[in-house]
Amino acid sequence: MCLIAMSAVGCIQEEPLNAECDIITVILPGNVLNRAPRIDNDKVVLIVKNDVSLLALAPEFELTPGATISPASGTTLNFVFPQTYTVTSQDGKWSKRYTVEVQRNNTISLDYGFEHVRQIGALGGTCQYDEFYETGTAGNETLVWASANSAFSMTLQGSTPNTFPTYQGDGGVNGKCAVLVTRSTGSFGVRVGKPIAAGNLFIGNFDGTNALKNPLQATHFGTPFYNIPSTFSGYYKYTPGETYCEADADGNFVPVPGKVDMFNIYAVLFESVPDMEWLDGSNVLAADNPNIIATAEIPDRQASEEWVNFTVPFRFRDGKTIDPDKLAAGRYSITVVMSSSQDGDYFRGAIGSTLSVDELLITCLTDN
Amino acid sequence: MMMMRIMKKFSISLGALLIGSLMSMQAAVGNNKYSNLLSGMGLEYEVNAGTSIGGASPLPLPAEIRHIDSYNPKLNLQIGATVTKWLDADKVWGAAVGVRLESRGMETKARVKNYGMEILDNQKKLSGRWTGSVHTKYQSQQLVFPVTAVFRAHPRLKINLGPYLAYAFSNDFNGYVYDGYLREGNPTGDKYVFEDDSKASYDFGSELRHFQWGMQTGVAWTAYRHLLVNANLTWGCNDIFKSSFKTVSFNLYPIYLNVGFGYLF
Repeated sequence: MCLIAMSAVGCIQEEPLNAECDIITVILPGNVLNRAPRIDNDKVVLIVKNDVSLLALAPEFELTPGATISPASGTTLNFVFPQTYTVTSQDGKWSKRYTVEVQRNNTISLDYGFEHVRQIGALGGTCQYDEFYETGTAGNETLVWASANSAFSMTLQGSTPNTFPTYQGDGGVNGKCAVLVTRSTGSFGVRVGKPIAAGNLFIGNFDGTNALKNPLQATHFGTPFYNIPSTFSGYYKYTPGETYCEADADGNFVPVPGKVDMFNIYAVLFESVPDMEWLDGSNVLAADNPNIIATAEIPDRQASEEWVNFTVPFRFRDGKTIDPDKLAAGRYSITVVMSSSQDGDYFRGAIGSTLSVDELLITCLTDN
Repeated sequence: MMMMRIMKKFSISLGALLIGSLMSMQAAVGNNKYSNLLSGMGLEYEVNAGTSIGGASPLPLPAEIRHIDSYNPKLNLQIGATVTKWLDADKVWGAAVGVRLESRGMETKARVKNYGMEILDNQKKLSGRWTGSVHTKYQSQQLVFPVTAVFRAHPRLKINLGPYLAYAFSNDFNGYVYDGYLREGNPTGDKYVFEDDSKASYDFGSELRHFQWGMQTGVAWTAYRHLLVNANLTWGCNDIFKSSFKTVSFNLYPIYLNVGFGYLF
């Protein structure tokens, strides 16, 4: 009897077919990409060189093993408008639609009013967070701001958009503004050793997949830029949270007496090179990062309940200049980064620190 | 909660009573007065204690479980009493009812693929499919009432078979997931990788059912006049989880082998 039980229990069955249906990599034949493909859970963005025609491109896809894609990998399609692909899992039970967008010579808008948000649902629709985007003069979407809101949803602390670290607030300099708040990540965050989430908003892409494993590397800063920036300006308000905390030697999040939290807002122009296409939290302001061309930082940041106007120049790093050929070829990238706790990505800061930002503007030399 | 506390208290006093009576009976062995009286009525009384190993297992192992990395049966103690009524003069056929205070537990580590998982916090849940490692701890304190038919196969050997009812007054089923990834909602959902020190705990304890039933079969060997050596296999027939609980997509059945000693009056 016992033997029957053991033999019935002990057998590992044959491995089930894969249920996932992901696009893992995208290849565009010929040397036509200007950046590595950006692959999200349901969207792919391919940034191509400026002389590439969008009328006939044949992207090839590597999928979750055993999955299939329709239209088939290698099919030639017109990418003037985004195309939709459907990936079906190996077990045939699951499928996912991907939008594949090809961008060329995308000139981002240079003034940011934070007037436009859409709500993204998470956890089966039980919570919603804001995603900011900017529109051009024709009403077309020119830029989607990235934030870590998607990763915050998995801490189970969020419900409405204003309970997330980054959301749209009222009372901007003009209309609405962006509000960034350093939040507690609750017991889930404590267990994974990430007790706070600073409000953050940046130009680039947030890799939520690896946010737990490697938070500094989850922020991919930068988008191609075709101008020479000269100044960075805007408005902010800042109220630091009551108690500044950081992890002690045992990993406990403890108060640091006398220390007051500080926000950060800055812009960085950098050269995108194959082994560093984007900057991340570990190197975005690093003094020894050879790819940084110029930075615009606010030297005298202060807490204020009233809007503070700032205008700072892009300071070129020693020996760095703009190569016109690289500029035209889209080899440079720019990012704007905001955080309600400047060391929030190292999980140091005060819960409740609140930064409001409005009317950011990048002025370029070619504008004059 | 209150109910559980009362049950716990009750079971502790039951245990004390059993041990107490075992000791007092030991003292009475000398004259055999009680035993003769009882056996004259065709009744046989036994107190027993033992340990059980086993686990709550799906049958067969579902395909989602790819590898069992470790299994610890834990030390599960039990204590109980059985009354047997012999139905014939030769004491070949009989019926027995019992009561047993039993702890059941296990601790496992397994690698799974596309396994239903739910992380609860702040009145919200993060649910989805987990691929990676799962650490599980199961512990249940139960009062078990077996009702069995008894057959004497040999003057010294009794075989029993029959159903049991169990009431679990304390239930824990929890653990954590690590070294893998969660797809939120279903296999097409957002992917979150947990590696290095990142782990997320789960607790399904409140989803365990209190009433369980199953089948028991076993043997009792009369080693000495009053000393029995018992071995019983208990096989749960309903899922340890409430039927409304869907996160663990397969049924888990408690299967335990009890080994112990009994004192026969």
